[in-house]
Amino acid sequence: MAARLRPARRLVYIYFRCLGQQMKAILAYEADFAILMFSAVLVQIVGFAFIWAIFQRIPSVNGWTFWQVVMMYALIFVTEGVGSLFFEGTWRVSYLVYSGQFDQVLLRPISPIVQVLAGAVGFNGLGNIVTGTVLIGISMANAPVEWTPGRLLMFAILLVSASTIRVAINLGSAASAFWVRSPWSMIPVFVHQLGDFAKYPITIYSIGVQALIVVAVPFAFISFFPTAYVFGVEAWSLAGLLTPLVAIYCMVMAVVVFRLGLRRYESTGH
Amino acid sequence: MGRLRKYSALARTSLEITFVYRAGFAVNMIGTIFYVVAMFYLWQTIFLGSPGALGGFTWPEMKAYLLVAFLLNSLLTWYSEWVMGSDIRDGIVAIDLARPIDIQASRFARAMGPVPFEFTSALAVGAIVAFVFGGIALPADPAHVGLFLISAVLATLIKFGIVYCVSMAAFWTTGTDGITVGRTAVQNIFSGALIPLVFFPDWLRSIAAVLPFQGLISTPALTYLGKLDGPTTALMLAVQAGWAVGLIVLGRLVWRRAVRAVTINGG
Repeated sequence: MAARLRPARRLVYIYFRCLGQQMKAILAYEADFAILMFSAVLVQIVGFAFIWAIFQRIPSVNGWTFWQVVMMYALIFVTEGVGSLFFEGTWRVSYLVYSGQFDQVLLRPISPIVQVLAGAVGFNGLGNIVTGTVLIGISMANAPVEWTPGRLLMFAILLVSASTIRVAINLGSAASAFWVRSPWSMIPVFVHQLGDFAKYPITIYSIGVQALIVVAVPFAFISFFPTAYVFGVEAWSLAGLLTPLVAIYCMVMAVVVFRLGLRRYESTGH
Repeated sequence: MGRLRKYSALARTSLEITFVYRAGFAVNMIGTIFYVVAMFYLWQTIFLGSPGALGGFTWPEMKAYLLVAFLLNSLLTWYSEWVMGSDIRDGIVAIDLARPIDIQASRFARAMGPVPFEFTSALAVGAIVAFVFGGIALPADPAHVGLFLISAVLATLIKFGIVYCVSMAAFWTTGTDGITVGRTAVQNIFSGALIPLVFFPDWLRSIAAVLPFQGLISTPALTYLGKLDGPTTALMLAVQAGWAVGLIVLGRLVWRRAVRAVTINGG
């Protein structure tokens, strides 16, 4: 057991060392760092104002209340923030593969996936995490449920699972770069934008869109199902409990796809 | 005539560049399509839940509003903006300075080059979305169409004015992404791109009224739907024209100051 644990701890250590270097690189440009964070906060405030303006006119959308929708919206942004702040490197994969710079990654005696994940830092993520967390906190306070320690613990588990799903989706779609040979593959952006649908309750969509964000790319497990669970919405809350399983499934799939992609990598100059 | 040819050549080149980097264009487009489709579903649900009019809009009118917003937002996309910022940041602007052209006019030509392509693509996509969601409200009066087109042209001039001014921030910062994101956020709320301004409380609406952004989406969209009476339309078009001229003049003034930053940094 100890022998198995040690490599895992080493991976975590290496991940944070790599990430630390990236942070230094970005913090050198203070103004950029501040602008990126500030604009992320602005985007969130604007999104919140939009939902608020709608609910000034109507009490609920398809039975979903204001704070439920705010919670879904905030979950999408908090997990996006986790993806940017800690795992922004996934967005660099297509360029590294196309330019052949991925050679560097393969030459180092460290897991390529860890290097990819720690390959960049997006400080806009910090703005997203902070504002999103505030919105989640206010939604929790306004939720008509009792926050028992059990429910709080479950919510924490759901948050971690939702973030894991987000990172797995980013990693898995970034692996498309090994098949699509272009300086920037469209697939990760395309997949990422699907998350727009999950900002709102999935019950507003047709069955096709629902299938897309529940089954094909499970964004609904980032926002909709966890919200349904913590707010105790009977019809959907049981599915919310599946979120950790979906997270594990997504991560395993992402790693498998990425490893398959790695085998196809053949550098440049052939 | 010869002077015009210089700028039309720049516009044509810029359009060709858009064709070469069509993948980037497509990504940008797909992103906005998902967003628009999500908006259509959301509003459809809202109108199903409260039949009749909301904020003075019927469902067919709201669909028309959303599509006009999508169409106008598709013009002068991130690419033109990104080029403006990165040319300054990377120092390519030095080449422009050496050319016998007016900088602002050349930027304008380059930004306008891809506009016909952006317009037709957005129109095609918009038509499909509108068809799937059961059609949109058409202008009651043909005169509204003419006024809408004038308003849309003014909206594009305002957008250029804003983007040109904001892009000059790149003289002082190293990255431009953050500024673009921030500007887009402010613009989305105050232009009425996310939701018609009538849905806002009075205080927010009075802020929007004194900013240039409402001329980007709100004024053209309301003109299209014939929501404004004759005198109000004339006033709003005049306000748009005022902002267009004002921002372009402002752009020239800021440029004169900003360009000194280049001489200092570049030696």
